[in-house]
Amino acid sequence: MAPDRLQRLIDAASANIAAHEEELTTLDRAIGDGDHGANMRRGFAAIEAAGAEISSLEFGAALQKAGMTLVMSVGGASGPLFGSLLMAMGKSAPAVPANAAAVAAMLTEGIESVKKRGKGDVGAKTMLDVLVPVRDAIASGDDPIAAARAAADAGLAATRDMKATKGRASFLGERSIGHLDPGARSSALLVHAICDVLEERK
Amino acid sequence: MNGIIAKSWEAFGEAVIRDPTGLHARPAVKLTRRAKSHHAEIEVRAGSAGTWINAKSPNAVMKLKAGNGERLYFRALGEDAAVAIAAMVALVEQDFDG
Amino acid sequence: MNDCVSIVIVSHSPEVARGAADMVREMVGTEVRVAHCGGNPAGGLGTDVGAILRAIESVYGPKGVAMLIDLGGAETNSEMAIEMLPEEMRKNVVICNAPIVEGAVMAATEAAGGASLQAVRATAEEFLS
Repeated sequence: MAPDRLQRLIDAASANIAAHEEELTTLDRAIGDGDHGANMRRGFAAIEAAGAEISSLEFGAALQKAGMTLVMSVGGASGPLFGSLLMAMGKSAPAVPANAAAVAAMLTEGIESVKKRGKGDVGAKTMLDVLVPVRDAIASGDDPIAAARAAADAGLAATRDMKATKGRASFLGERSIGHLDPGARSSALLVHAICDVLEERK
Repeated sequence: MNGIIAKSWEAFGEAVIRDPTGLHARPAVKLTRRAKSHHAEIEVRAGSAGTWINAKSPNAVMKLKAGNGERLYFRALGEDAAVAIAAMVALVEQDFDG
Repeated sequence: MNDCVSIVIVSHSPEVARGAADMVREMVGTEVRVAHCGGNPAGGLGTDVGAILRAIESVYGPKGVAMLIDLGGAETNSEMAIEMLPEEMRKNVVICNAPIVEGAVMAATEAAGGASLQAVRATAEEFLS
């Protein structure tokens, strides 16, 4: 991928997280410890700071480097979770995936890594409830970008009625129902940011 | 009152706890550490009717909950049993200050 | 003292981590090496994979490292840090399922006699059972 497109992906992801930091904090305050907004913002600011180096790398290496940057800078569980996602995706796809099926396959590797790291699966009110439907939509839709956006929004909305069984939110049990999951919200923000950049080419 | 009986490979000893708060956490750790520094198997019980427990087990010693004035009984089996028992008795007699 | 298992304490709070490590040193002595870390990379509550990695490496020895950690993210970040270690070290580092302060004292007490990593872990985990 051309360095300027990688840089644009970094900028768009970081900007969308930064623009929604308050919202993420509010969501996390309801069912977590309220640090998700600041943690994600710090992680993506670190990626942005390393933007020149990351965007000079090959696609897969760039994803791995970005993932490692999240791991080392976030300071909460979301660092290893989002970091593992990007690192596994980058490991599985050295070059830019050629088509939607290859993107879905790459995302599958990332999803498996998140499941392993978080010892969880879909339905537990986590980032996986956005990532898995997005992967499925990309694999099956004829307009993968629109399908990914729609699946991200629907997946996020579905976390509202779920009961958390993973992470800090699981301490709340039934009381976690009625709130969106902050990790799912971050995932949706990233999906939309990536789609924005991909659509610029059209 | 306190004393040591030693045959070869086997030794017994006893001493009274003087610390006003009894065998609390820090003495329990010291007792375990002192026991671990000997090769012999060492057991301890609180009072003559207490259950013998492994003196090298931090969890077991922590759960002894022996109080002030209570008598600790030691028994050891092994080549250095006599030395071990002398060390355990001395530790209690020095009020775990060693 | 490379013939003892070492202890690593990871808390969201730097003060809790330091306090637990101080308690181990005071109660058990300095024969067992203890490292601690706490706080996120920005200095707030949280844990930092890089700091955990450095803590493990600072006390690592042939008998291994037993880790005592507190809530949620500390576990995810500690697991991540262990996976980032060289492969030959990884199998010698374990997370004990035990309360951080009590577990650290019990683990260090067991470790002080030269016990194996499995024995140290079992002692820490047995405390509440």
